[in-house]
Amino acid sequence: MSPDSVSVTLLQLYPEELGVAGDRGNVLALKSRLEHAGVEVTVVEHRIGDSLPTDVDLVLVGNGPLSAMRNVYDDLFSIGDHLRAYRSIDVPLFAYGSGAELLGHSIALPDGSTLDGLGILPFRAERVTERAVGYISVDTPFGRIVGFEDNASRWILDPESKPLGILEVGSGNSAGSVEGVLDAGAIGTQLGGPALPLNPLLTDALIGFIATRRGFDYRPSDVNATVDRYATLAREVILANAKHVFSRI
Amino acid sequence: MSKSNGFQYFVPVLAGKVVRAAAKIRGGGSAFPGYVTTSLAPNFLRDVTGQFRYGIVYVLGSNGKSTTTHMLTEVLRGHGLRVFTNPSGANLPQGIASSILAESTVFGRLDADIGVLEVDEAFALEFARTVPPSTVLILNTQVDQLYRFYETERVADMMLDTAQQASKHIVTNREDPYLSKIARRFADGDATSGPDISYFGASDAVIAGSPHGLFNATDYRDAGIEAGQHVALAELTDTDRAGATIAVRGEPVDVVLPAKGLHYAIDAAAALATAAIILGDDFSAGSAAAAFAAMKPAYGRGELLAFGNEMVEFVMFKNAASLQLNLDALPEPPEQVLFAIDEGTPDISWIYDIDFSALDHVDVITGAKAWQIALCLELNGVRIGTVEPDLKTAIDLMRAMPRPASGMKTWIVNYEIMMLARKQIGFLELENQR
Repeated sequence: MSPDSVSVTLLQLYPEELGVAGDRGNVLALKSRLEHAGVEVTVVEHRIGDSLPTDVDLVLVGNGPLSAMRNVYDDLFSIGDHLRAYRSIDVPLFAYGSGAELLGHSIALPDGSTLDGLGILPFRAERVTERAVGYISVDTPFGRIVGFEDNASRWILDPESKPLGILEVGSGNSAGSVEGVLDAGAIGTQLGGPALPLNPLLTDALIGFIATRRGFDYRPSDVNATVDRYATLAREVILANAKHVFSRI
Repeated sequence: MSKSNGFQYFVPVLAGKVVRAAAKIRGGGSAFPGYVTTSLAPNFLRDVTGQFRYGIVYVLGSNGKSTTTHMLTEVLRGHGLRVFTNPSGANLPQGIASSILAESTVFGRLDADIGVLEVDEAFALEFARTVPPSTVLILNTQVDQLYRFYETERVADMMLDTAQQASKHIVTNREDPYLSKIARRFADGDATSGPDISYFGASDAVIAGSPHGLFNATDYRDAGIEAGQHVALAELTDTDRAGATIAVRGEPVDVVLPAKGLHYAIDAAAALATAAIILGDDFSAGSAAAAFAAMKPAYGRGELLAFGNEMVEFVMFKNAASLQLNLDALPEPPEQVLFAIDEGTPDISWIYDIDFSALDHVDVITGAKAWQIALCLELNGVRIGTVEPDLKTAIDLMRAMPRPASGMKTWIVNYEIMMLARKQIGFLELENQR
C-alpha cells in the first residue's frame, strides 16, 4: 500500500506533566518524517480526564518530575487497560524517562516507598542517589543513537528482556553496560536530547513498526535531507564532546 | 560587632586583600581571597554585614536575579542610601565573601546602609547561617538547570526555606504557583510572628496579553491548594517596549525599563515592592522613577554595544523561560539575527518547547550546539542562513552583512557565549569587574 492513502494517529500522554525534556520534539520529528513520506498525521494529546481514541498507531510518553508523576498517576491507572490493549495488538510505544518508568513494573523511591507501574514494559526502576548527566551514545539494532541523559535511576530489566542497546558512552541503565529496554515495537529509554530529532534512524525504526502493522510501504523522503544533515553533524559534535565537556557538573 | 575596635580583623582582612591583589596582577577575578579571610576569621562576614542599618537583602530566583539586584540597588541609591551589592553573576558564597572583603577596611568596616546580594539558590540557605538576611526577595520558580537541581520543586523549596530565615521581610511573586503559597509555611497562616510577607505581581490584563504568560513552573505537588487572594504591594498594570506602569500601594509609578520584555517589567515590580517595604514611609515614587530613568541594563542583559558603525543588541537567556519571554518581547522579527549556544548550557532539549514564531529567520547559528539548534529550527520551519559552529567566524559573517535598516543586529545567546562574544567585539571587561 502506498503511504499516500494512509492516515496515522500519534498519542502523546500528559504533554505538560511528562514533557519537560523537549518531549514535543519527539512528536515533531515523527510527524515531520511521516508527512514528508505522504502520510497524514493526527496528534492526540491525552490530558487528565480525557478519553482515549480507539485507533492509535503509536503511543509516546515523556519525562517529568516525581510530583508530576504522582499527579497523573490515578489517570494513568484508569487508562491502564486501554494502554495494555494497544500493546496486545502491537501498537508501538516510545517512552522516555519517568514516563517509561510508570509503564514498567515499579519505581523504588529514595524514601523507601515503591510506586507501582502499569507493567507494560519489562523492567523496574530504582531511584538512586548518584545522578547520571551528560552525553550518551548507544549501539542499538537500528544503529548508533546519541543524546543527553539526565537521571538518577537504575533500570533493572526482566531476566528475558532485551535492552535497547549496548552502552558506548554514558551511564544508561546504570546496571550492566546497556541502555533502555526493547520489547518488540515498544522502546523505553533514558536517552534524551530529545532522542528522535537527533536520531532519524530511530524515528525511521518507529515509523517502520507503524508501517508494518498498518501494511504500508515506508521509505524516508528526500525532503528530509536538510534535517538529516543537521542531525548527522549534531551527533558528530556530541560524540566528539561526549567524553570531556561535562566533567565539571 | 563583638569587639568593636575591629583589630581582630586586621590580619585576616589584610591577608585576604594581599591574596586579592596578587590574583588581580595574575589576571582574572578569584573567590580565593574571600576564602582566606573567612577561614582566618569565621565571623568576619556576619560582623561586617551586621553593621548595615537596613540589614541584608537576598535576591533569589530562577531568573532575573542580576537584573533585579541591579534595579533594587539603584532605587535604594536613588533614595540616598549607601548600598553594598555583589557584582552581577558573582552569586556564590566565596565570590560574595571576596566582594565584601574588597570593599571593607582592614578593621572590618564597610560603609553602607544596606546590602543587596544576589545569591545562588543552591547555596542561599547555607549562606544565611553566615550572613543572615533581614529581607528575602524571591522572584520566580522556573524549570531550570534540571541537571543541577533534578526537580523544580526542590529549587522552590531551597528558596522558600531561605525566605523563612528573613528576620524582617519576605517579598515574593503572587503569580508564581510555588511562591504564592509561602504563607502556608507559617503556623498561623501568616508570618505575623516572624517576617512580614509582601507580594509583587502583574494585573490579569497584563498576564492575559502575554503570548506565553509568565512561564513560571506549574506546581504539581500542591496543585489542589489555592494560593489565596493576595493584594500585591507592587502590581504591574501596563507595559510596552519602553516602560511600565507599576502601582505601588495603589499609586502608579511610571518607570523606564533598562531592557525590553515582560520579565524585566515584573523584575521592576519586584524591586519596587522590596524598596517600598524596606523604606516604608520614606519610599518616594518620584525617586524610584528617577532611578529607573538613569539605569543602564545589567551586564549583557538587553545591552546595546557598538559593533563597527552598527549596534549589537544582546538578548541573553539561560533557560526556556528567559528565551521565550525575550522572544515574546521582540516587537517584530529582527532584521539580522545570530543565535548561539555552547556547552555552557549542557542540556538544550527544552528548545523544543519554545515557540519560535517571533523569528522569521536566523542568519547565523553558532556555538558547540549550533547543529542541534539548526535541527530544531529546521523542524520548526524557521529559515536558516548559515550554520557556523566557530564563534569568531560566525561574528565575522555577521560583520560582513550589510548594515540593517534599524542599525541594530540581534544576537540571541546563552550566558557563556555572551561573555565570549563581548570579548570578540572589543568589550574586554568581565562581568565581575564592573
